[in-house]
Amino acid sequence: MPGWQKFYHDLNNKNFEIISIAQDTGGAKAAAQWITAANPEYTALIDDKHLVTQLYNMVNVPTGVWINEKGLIVRPNEVAYVDNRFTGMHGIDAAPYLDAIRDWVEKGDRSQFVMKEQEVKERLKPPSQDRVTADAEFGLAEYLHKMGKAEDAVAHFKEAQRLDPDNWNYKRQAWALTDAEKNYGTSFGKEVQKLNGKPYYAPRQLPETKKP
Amino acid sequence: MLKILVYAAVAILLAAGVTNAAEERSSIVYDGVSTEVTGSIDAAKNLWISMDDLKRATHFVVKPQGVCRDELCFPLPAKRQADFISKRGAVTWFNLTAFANLVKQPVVRDEKNAVWFFGKRADERGAFLASLEAPNFSLPDLNGKLHSLADYRGKKVLLITWASW
Repeated sequence: MPGWQKFYHDLNNKNFEIISIAQDTGGAKAAAQWITAANPEYTALIDDKHLVTQLYNMVNVPTGVWINEKGLIVRPNEVAYVDNRFTGMHGIDAAPYLDAIRDWVEKGDRSQFVMKEQEVKERLKPPSQDRVTADAEFGLAEYLHKMGKAEDAVAHFKEAQRLDPDNWNYKRQAWALTDAEKNYGTSFGKEVQKLNGKPYYAPRQLPETKKP
Repeated sequence: MLKILVYAAVAILLAAGVTNAAEERSSIVYDGVSTEVTGSIDAAKNLWISMDDLKRATHFVVKPQGVCRDELCFPLPAKRQADFISKRGAVTWFNLTAFANLVKQPVVRDEKNAVWFFGKRADERGAFLASLEAPNFSLPDLNGKLHSLADYRGKKVLLITWASW
């Protein structure tokens, strides 16, 4: 978040807003320290029901979506790092993405990084029936967890993970809420190892920047 | 005389116990909001609730044209009315799980805690795919103040999700 604060501050453009949204069952309690430390001038919101993950069919963090002045999606879900702190793990360089955002903020819909309507539509797929059911199982699990029924929530978190196996948000959130080794027999580190070279994030596809 | 009254009262209670065997206090989570209701669960594991509870828990009401909330109305199939509405004694029951199936809404249940969770309908989930209009949401900041995506119309918005975990 401090990275996005600096980026936003340096851009200093009144027609551009960052809305960052914490996907955290733990709500403000879990997210507050990070937001307070970054002290952002942009909009920082807290989503304790993973609503945005569901509405936008996301499967990971950080995920970025570009929305133009008319409220239309011009670049859908893609990995959105502001720095290279975790590049060792996923190999993604943040710089080209930040350059692309700067280009968009300056040129708007004329930016080469803005996708044509057809391309956005091809990338966005309707959620499968399994995904929609997984969202409900995850919602039920979160509800039980918040009611103090953490043990009863585990079965529903597992069912959400089974129905939407590529959804890292649903795995990592559940593992973080209780003892992952005890309740799920695994950990984030172990699961990343299991990928065995398969990418953790769907590859980002930015057009090559034309050098002047 | 008193003895007879007591016997009668016990008999009535027992009878009520039999007919209400499948009734249980249940929590319905609908649109993310939890409501306590008296649920009646049939052999096919459908959840029936009273018309009053339907309104309280979902804000839907049954009208001649269908099951409606504001402008939104879902007509019930004419030949299958009995699958959705059943009058028993003084109470008219509504089959909320059958209605969910009708409108393609996922329903999941935790039996132990008697919680029924109703998810988002498919039409709510996929609506933006045709228009590409970014789905709106209202969420709080750290001070609890709500912000809607729609408030930022006229600006470019970079939406970024993150998490503490």
